[in-house]
Amino acid sequence: MSSAVISPAQPEQILKGLGKLWTSLGEEEKQHGKPTVLRACTMTLIVATDEPDGDFSSAQTISELMREHPSRGIVLAVSPDAEQALQARLYAQCWKPFGKAQQICCEQIEITCRPESWPNVGPILIGLTAADLPVVFWCRHKAAIRPFSTSDQKAGLEAVMSIATKTIVDTREEDPISAMRLLAHWKTLGRPFGDLEWTRLTPWREPIAHIFDSSCGNNPLSSFHTIEIAHTDDHPCASVLYAAGWLSAPYKANVSFVKTKGFGPGLHRIRLRSDSETIEFERTSSEGMTLRSTNGRERSYTYSEPTLTALMTEELSVIGPDPAFMAAFDRVQEMM
Amino acid sequence: MSVVVQPMPEVNPLQDSLRFARRVPPCAVVIFGASGDLSRRKLLPALYRLFYERRIPPNFAVIGSSRTPMSDDQFRERMKDSVSKFLEDAPFDEDVWRSFAQSLFYVPGDLSNPESYEDIRRKLDEVEKSHQTAGNVLFYLSTQPSHYAEAIQELGAHHLNQGNGWRRVIIEKPFGHDLKSARKLNDDIHKVFSESEVYRIDHYLGKETVQNILAFRFGNGIFEPLWNRRYVDHVQITAAESIGVEGRGAYYQEAGALRDMIQNHLSQVMATVAMEPPTVFDATNVRDERAKLLRAVRVMKPEDVPTYAVAGQYGPAKVGGQDILGFRQEPSVDPDSQTDTYAAVTFFIDNWRWAGVPFYIRTGKRMPKRVTDIAIQFHAPPLGLFTQETKAGPREVRPNLLVLRIQPEEGISLRFLSKSPGSGMRVRPVSMDFNYGSSFGERTPTAYETLLVDAMAGDPTLYTRQDMVDASWQIVEPILDVWAHTRFNFPNYPAGTWGPKEADEMLARQGHVWRIP
Repeated sequence: MSSAVISPAQPEQILKGLGKLWTSLGEEEKQHGKPTVLRACTMTLIVATDEPDGDFSSAQTISELMREHPSRGIVLAVSPDAEQALQARLYAQCWKPFGKAQQICCEQIEITCRPESWPNVGPILIGLTAADLPVVFWCRHKAAIRPFSTSDQKAGLEAVMSIATKTIVDTREEDPISAMRLLAHWKTLGRPFGDLEWTRLTPWREPIAHIFDSSCGNNPLSSFHTIEIAHTDDHPCASVLYAAGWLSAPYKANVSFVKTKGFGPGLHRIRLRSDSETIEFERTSSEGMTLRSTNGRERSYTYSEPTLTALMTEELSVIGPDPAFMAAFDRVQEMM
Repeated sequence: MSVVVQPMPEVNPLQDSLRFARRVPPCAVVIFGASGDLSRRKLLPALYRLFYERRIPPNFAVIGSSRTPMSDDQFRERMKDSVSKFLEDAPFDEDVWRSFAQSLFYVPGDLSNPESYEDIRRKLDEVEKSHQTAGNVLFYLSTQPSHYAEAIQELGAHHLNQGNGWRRVIIEKPFGHDLKSARKLNDDIHKVFSESEVYRIDHYLGKETVQNILAFRFGNGIFEPLWNRRYVDHVQITAAESIGVEGRGAYYQEAGALRDMIQNHLSQVMATVAMEPPTVFDATNVRDERAKLLRAVRVMKPEDVPTYAVAGQYGPAKVGGQDILGFRQEPSVDPDSQTDTYAAVTFFIDNWRWAGVPFYIRTGKRMPKRVTDIAIQFHAPPLGLFTQETKAGPREVRPNLLVLRIQPEEGISLRFLSKSPGSGMRVRPVSMDFNYGSSFGERTPTAYETLLVDAMAGDPTLYTRQDMVDASWQIVEPILDVWAHTRFNFPNYPAGTWGPKEADEMLARQGHVWRIP
């Protein structure tokens, strides 16, 4: 269900439109004679995008995310082709949980603006955030996080980040050195952030971490003094750097990188060496990973490239401090 | 004397509890009574779901055992039917099942036959090699309670209580039939397993909403200051079922509502609602506080039982045009049965926080609907400035009520008064609702999923300890004793109602009325 276009986009009008939207959903309830719709919201999720198909893919991803993280979604589509300098449209995203009669609905606001209007969006967003709940900013506007972003993009980015509890970016397609510099700058400004390149590491990190649980009786992590990370790109991408930072942060182990052929972009193999044991965790096919130890241990895992929805679902579940990520990030800064 | 200091195990610096799922080590689960109702309806669906969500490791096996002769494949087929039928709030996936089924095995046998345990040992050795279960074994006693002691003894006699890895045993309720038998059972178990290896399951404690009581109380600053005798007038805990005994007449006739629900589930819920904050949220501290609370519950004198406890039994009735049998007309039930299908008890907790606050607990079968909730009724304002608008005309204001809904619509609601629109200062109660399902869109794990993972991971926080079981028997035993020597005029409530009038009178004596949930 959606509303008519609201132009120019003003918070009062948008909120009024949302009120009408919920009233119309309530009318359906009256017709059915029982509650059919439940309004749910645990945060405000703002998505800024400059992708040509951004409107569709962002809305689609948000609707998928709603199932685990019901939120007031605000898609900010920055496009030179926008008809108006600033306009808004409202939607209700509804789904029916398995086995339940009642639909759960979240509201979604789509704001379209021209690039030069982006810096003016900040005050509108402040008026639209759900009261007293976290505000997460997912920046899919690639140009805005690149070194030569325009002053409008910088100001627009800052306008949204200033109201966000956390900003999430994906540095996969970015130059890792520039990306790390930008994130370090955000850190000095006290802006909490997450990077989906770190989130992509979870399927790697979890089995490796498990090896060092005391109940597993392996050599302690402190005995592994050398770490070798193999990657398939020409240069180590952000997730490769994060893996190095994560593994070497506790005991400052030596890290080296090697380029190799593999089954997809990014990380291909992690090798940990101690004086008595070598552990390897490697992608062995497009859908499999194998963990091997010179102590004779071997175990296979299935692997599938995490979808954007899966990555965001995980990242949205960590709204507060993320000590493991910060420790890895700080170590990457030391290594650079 | 020299002291040997053991080196502290290294804390794993790579762990990331924010993002990694709780780790279950490789293990085998042996289910005794594998062809029974609990296995089919709850245990196997829970294990399948955990497998589906990759919360149990690939190095995992289930060995079912019961008297029914079956091959591994027949067991898998039978369990497939059950899982697809009883899986809650989740679709059944054929591919996932095929993979899961490879970890399912079956050993036919009788618990009283020593040969059966040797067969289980052989199967455990096999799966330890084939599935690399590291010698870790969780035994699940899902059998008739009368077989618990014998099964435990045989496990010990065949050295199945020790091996290459850890050994744990889950025991289903009822844990004993009374205090004496519960203590005897504990003694029997402790001859074979240490207390740290014993997991007495109370599935109510595994329910997300029961766990949420702790989060609600101790994670928020605003409620705990009100959580005492100064602000709370009384507490009502209701666990109502709309169904009857559903073919379990023979078992239920021996148990009754007080034993079946109040001695275990509801006394644990009461302990969760009323316990003091633990200093640390770990198994020992949380269970210490629960046990302390149960020990503080006043034990009734026999002469007080008729005043503070009411037994009921449903009789036949027509509900929604359908004829419903009375309890005594149910199959396998004595036509002159004195079993309570309804029990209501007033408990008092003799500690600084709750002195004088009645905790009313009621449970029954064939009630108007299935509902479990806890209602905390606060004192009325000291001065009644407003009248409340009702259909029957204005009346005194109703006090605030905080309801923690355990099932079916899990959530929390707070009733308070609001001005009715229009002229005049009339107020009416409104409800502020939090719905668990809508705020957390993700699927809620079933109690058995939670508890099985906890047992495999070695976390007993949500399991009951021996001293808790003892304490809960101590508070219900005087009632059971008096009731055993009372000839009740049963049935005393028709099916489809909220229980006998004596239960209403019990509250009326304290100036209270039962809520209608």
